Amino acid sequence: MLNHWFLIGFLSVTTYLSRIIGLEFMAGQQMSPTLRLYFQYVPIGIITALIMKQVLIPGEGQLSISVPVLVGCISTAIAIKVIKVFLPSVAIGVLFGLLVRHFL
Amino acid sequence: MDKNMKTIKTGLLESLPLSIAISTYGLSYGVLANEANLGLFAVMAMSLFVFSGSVQMVVVAMISAGSSFGSVLITSILLNLRNLLYGAGLAEGLAPAKKWKWLLAFGVSDEPYVLGSSRFHKYGPDPLYFGVVTGTFYLAWIVASFIGAIIGNEIDSQKWGLDLAFPVTFVALLIPSLKERPIVATALTAVLITTVLEYLFPGNQFTIIIAGIVSPLIGLYLKGGPNNA
Repeated sequence: MLNHWFLIGFLSVTTYLSRIIGLEFMAGQQMSPTLRLYFQYVPIGIITALIMKQVLIPGEGQLSISVPVLVGCISTAIAIKVIKVFLPSVAIGVLFGLLVRHFL
Repeated sequence: MDKNMKTIKTGLLESLPLSIAISTYGLSYGVLANEANLGLFAVMAMSLFVFSGSVQMVVVAMISAGSSFGSVLITSILLNLRNLLYGAGLAEGLAPAKKWKWLLAFGVSDEPYVLGSSRFHKYGPDPLYFGVVTGTFYLAWIVASFIGAIIGNEIDSQKWGLDLAFPVTFVALLIPSLKERPIVATALTAVLITTVLEYLFPGNQFTIIIAGIVSPLIGLYLKGGPNNA
């Protein structure tokens, strides 16, 4: 629990610093378009890796897939594409994942 | 005075639709943070002092996955890099705020950047507008986090599938971003890297960091490639 408070303190300081540094010191500076794009792509890589960590279940010398998580993710992906609303799409994914968990 | 009131009204009206969207994220964050056993005070402290949806969601997911303290910190720094761009982009529009700029800096993130930069582009510098927008988003985020944490505490997580909420929430955040080939390639590369690393080094703490650093390079390569030039 103590670690959680250290973490919150660290996150508060570093997040604020990233904001004020841009505002105070990077204004007017030329930044490479490549670096700019790289910064935009980083969250995509991290979020995808987090999803995959939940889908994959590492075992002894092999990887298996959590079917309820996979079905939930695919359901949400289809839902957000079709209805384009965040919360119902999440609810649909959870519902389908639960159905798979209980009936398969 | 009349002009200020008009600015406040415009800020409130324009931030309202996004506040609803932010509330839904906040609700999810509250539930997920509770699921990660952060405790109500820690859940709320993170929302009050960090006020960053992406950082908070990712950190909570990593805590749940048992990631090390160090890997959570590095990942959060990576996620915050884009704030440098937002801050630089908003600097001119917030310049008249002078010392208040240090307070307004708290709002430098995805949604306030979108509204703020659009306003500055049309009407010039307007720190008051940015303050109203940020304040509205902040309030929505705090209230929604609190409700999510309370709801999450009251229900059986396995029975209601709250453990499934983590991956599906991230899918709902990710899918709308996958519009260009380089972005899709970045995501697919992250899938590949994570799969290979989980196979070779199961439960490795650095998988997310490595995927976060390496996969954007493929997106960049494709963006600069001959078909996209």
